[in-house]
Amino acid sequence: MSMLSRRNILKIGGAAAALPLLGRGAYAQEPLKVGFVLIGTPDDNGWNHGHDMGRQAMEDALGDKVTSTVVTNVAEGPDSERVFRELAQQGHKLIFGTSFGFGDYMLKVAKEFPDVKFEWATGNATAPNLSTYNAKFHEGRAVLGTIAGMMTETNKLAYIGSIPIPEVRMGINSFAIAARKVNPDVSIKVVYIDSWFDPAKEADATRALIDQGVDIFASHMDGPVSLQIAEERGIIGGFGQGADMSAFAPKAQLTSIIDVWGPHYIEAAQQVLDGTWVESSTWPGLKEGEVVIGPYNEKIPADVVAAAEKVRMGIIDGSLHPFAGPIMDNAGTERVAEGDIIDDGEFWAVDWYAAGVEA
Amino acid sequence: MQFRLEKRQEPSRFMLYATPVAAVVLTMVLGAIIFSLIGFDGLGAVREIFLTPLINPLKWQDLAVKASPLIIIAVGLSIGYRANVWNIGAEGQYIVGGLAGTGVALATWEMTGWWLLPLMIIAGIAGGMAYAAVPALLRVKFKVNEILTTLMLTYVSVQLLNYLVLGPWINPTGYGQAQTRLFNADQTLPYIIPGTIVQLGTPIALLVALVAWVLMSKSMFGFQIRVVGLAPHAARYGGFSEGKTIWLALLVGGGLAGLAGVLEVAGPFGRMVPSFPTNYGFTAIIVAFLGRLNPLGIVVAGIVLAITFVGGQVAQTTIGLPFPAVGLFQAMMLFLLLAGDILVRYRLRRVVPLAVAEDVA
Amino acid sequence: MSPDLLIGLIITLVGASTPILLAALGELVAEKSGVLNLGVEGMMLVGAVICFAVTYNTGNPWLGIVAAALASTAVAMIFAVLTLGLSANQVATGLALTIFGTGFSALFGRAYTGKPLALFKSIFPDWLATHPVLKVLFGYSPLVYFSFAMVALVWWFLAKTRGGLILRAVGESDISAHSMGYSVIGVRYGAVAFGGAMAGIAGSCFPLMLTPQWVEGLTAGRGWIALALVVFGAWRPIRLLGGAYLFGLVMTIELYAKAGGGVAHVLPSQFWAALPYLATILVLVLISLRQSSNTSAPACLGKPFLPTN
Repeated sequence: MSMLSRRNILKIGGAAAALPLLGRGAYAQEPLKVGFVLIGTPDDNGWNHGHDMGRQAMEDALGDKVTSTVVTNVAEGPDSERVFRELAQQGHKLIFGTSFGFGDYMLKVAKEFPDVKFEWATGNATAPNLSTYNAKFHEGRAVLGTIAGMMTETNKLAYIGSIPIPEVRMGINSFAIAARKVNPDVSIKVVYIDSWFDPAKEADATRALIDQGVDIFASHMDGPVSLQIAEERGIIGGFGQGADMSAFAPKAQLTSIIDVWGPHYIEAAQQVLDGTWVESSTWPGLKEGEVVIGPYNEKIPADVVAAAEKVRMGIIDGSLHPFAGPIMDNAGTERVAEGDIIDDGEFWAVDWYAAGVEA
Repeated sequence: MQFRLEKRQEPSRFMLYATPVAAVVLTMVLGAIIFSLIGFDGLGAVREIFLTPLINPLKWQDLAVKASPLIIIAVGLSIGYRANVWNIGAEGQYIVGGLAGTGVALATWEMTGWWLLPLMIIAGIAGGMAYAAVPALLRVKFKVNEILTTLMLTYVSVQLLNYLVLGPWINPTGYGQAQTRLFNADQTLPYIIPGTIVQLGTPIALLVALVAWVLMSKSMFGFQIRVVGLAPHAARYGGFSEGKTIWLALLVGGGLAGLAGVLEVAGPFGRMVPSFPTNYGFTAIIVAFLGRLNPLGIVVAGIVLAITFVGGQVAQTTIGLPFPAVGLFQAMMLFLLLAGDILVRYRLRRVVPLAVAEDVA
Repeated sequence: MSPDLLIGLIITLVGASTPILLAALGELVAEKSGVLNLGVEGMMLVGAVICFAVTYNTGNPWLGIVAAALASTAVAMIFAVLTLGLSANQVATGLALTIFGTGFSALFGRAYTGKPLALFKSIFPDWLATHPVLKVLFGYSPLVYFSFAMVALVWWFLAKTRGGLILRAVGESDISAHSMGYSVIGVRYGAVAFGGAMAGIAGSCFPLMLTPQWVEGLTAGRGWIALALVVFGAWRPIRLLGGAYLFGLVMTIELYAKAGGGVAHVLPSQFWAALPYLATILVLVLISLRQSSNTSAPACLGKPFLPTN
């Protein structure tokens, strides 16, 4: 009983605290306040930038019906818990947390604010008022792998990874499987930076790979630095990650995987406005337009573009699966049999690399 | 017109406590002006960073959570600093303390019982002490500068943490993400005020500060520490061993940093993750100075620093102040505080004719 | 390892070593005078962002470097006024300086994120700079040659000049230097300013030769590595040069070894990352065992000097 009344006091306090902030636009219909919690800054040219673009798309599409707040540089950990609570107390009814490490704290705060909807990007657990959303980047990487496999002259490809977690590993596998399908002779060297952020080390890793004969690489890091090095060294190229990075490397960016979060953000906000939002776990990809392949560089030959488009369209119409068997791992064991696939559930348990990967 | 500094007979007690207050107030004034000049809402920034967390009762729990580890670590450091032992690697001792507690939690994760948490806390303290024992040994046996060794060991501890959470301690049911299991209910700090997020760490922090205050000001131990710091030679005649003091200072500092680490991992974090190092160990150095190396002053200083962190985030969401601006406010506050230090030991005198000043010197 | 690969490794190694060498040289001089400035990372970040801004707006990297040196010197003067003028604690002031530099660079740099910069390449003619073999000598940014010149200059200054003798005297025994009539505080101001300028130039290595862009926290902890390096080099410029390349090698060889496949996985990568720091501690112990006075830490390191005493 005492706990209950305490909760109520806290909530009233929260509303009171939020009042002066709402003062500016107190129309009859309050706009929906949407919060975005980012681990970095929107101008990182990568992951956070993509989410901020999605936020802007949501504001453009829904106009007066929504307002948004962005909190940047939020560390994964108890600091994020405070931010989520703060946003909820200020009257935000829909809050997006865009990093895996926010999850524990979103789940905690979601329990305290049952009338606020939370959405956890790349998350792996839901609650009645907490959904997860993610994007099948690995589908896009199959397109990149096709281009890389066909265009390489040295048959040495590479993949610059951040930290060895399943999502990164499956990106590597998708890239490698697609590349080997069009060119069985390629090898894929993997270098992990062991960090999500260290541009100088990322640049050095790129140099090391190029020195060893790699002429095309893909990356799982957030910034354009490896593409800049590729441009400087004049190799065939690499791929933009998360956003179009051609401004940094007009010659070296062959194409890019662009995260388009806008439609998801628009849909979620609309559902909250309509009262139709429900706990869910969405994981769309190329088909739904959440993962988009950017413009192809004009130096890519027409037949390569055609092959890449075939893979892209195949994944979109369902005739092609990036993890369709038979798949051998790099130790020579068959991991997926002919006619079988790695489905969305099995995806997270994969702890091996596909044939051709040198990790 | 010229000024010169003149040493006071005795450090000014008034200035000792007035300068931190003045530093905070001056930061608010200067901050409002500077940020207005460069095109931000300067007044709003000061209001949100410094006042909102104090005025809004909803923020008090956040202050408690943020200030507790800072206070615990800073109290430990202040004891060392008084003895002229410069442990700047509390961050590393905090991490190792957290890791030691995590080790116990993972080894006992299927067990229940009231004894789990105390065992973890003991392990955390021991871990922090052991990690601080390395620089203590090197200083006493080899005369190796502890500023440098404690700093080096901090980097090492971060790598140790990354190795453990990505390797042997990775959560077997966590989809390969870099984190350990969630601790079970008996391994997690209880909430002490229902309906808030204030955990057992907060009363422990206050208790630590109180005990340290009594020890430092009322006991022989405190006297010994202060004498060694002020006059090492005199201390030797008095029969206090310098080596013993170094050991004591580092073990107390390391043990308390380890305690903060285990309370943090068993409290707000609830499991070990790569983002565990949150610079508490470095921020606590600032807290120790802001609090004048006095345990009770440190409690106040810990709360002031917590206010700027909490308020900084408020300012981001309410008036859109960019996050890095908070760092500038903190830096300005520290600069002013450190500048004001001189007034404790010296007074400012106007110098009229040069010749007279020469005579005085 | 093929010759081509070796040349590639050397070029990457030089790039990784140059900023930490430059920053550490500056810190070495400051520490030799008895001042411990823990604000290197903050000063490097200020240098990096100012260098980016000036180079981006003027198109002249030389101006960028000069501006970075000046800006970081100005920031170092905050430290100098507090610790030397007002005898504030050096550890706390240095940490505050890093907080300041991190905040300032992030705020100031907001206008420059997402903008590319051209690399500051070799000043030698193309046939030398891009020659498959000779590029190992001629293919570097001028900042690299500058770093070697500065090693020689700092060595010469400290070992062979009267100014260097005074600086070392100030760091070893401030009271006797003072009684001999030298301005302890004045010398230390100069040393801290030099440290600031060098940290600024070290910071400018990032946008000009390593990562031609600006993002928050661009230096990613290299300033702290430079601090370790000074100790590892036992406060001697020539050893510092060796140490910088050894640290650089540890940072880069892992990337080459990994890309080469297999071998590097015998030990976890975290071990390699921790190795420079463990080695530094070992060096400290060895120095103390040798008890040689010119390799140990300056006796007055980190201690305030009060001239009115």
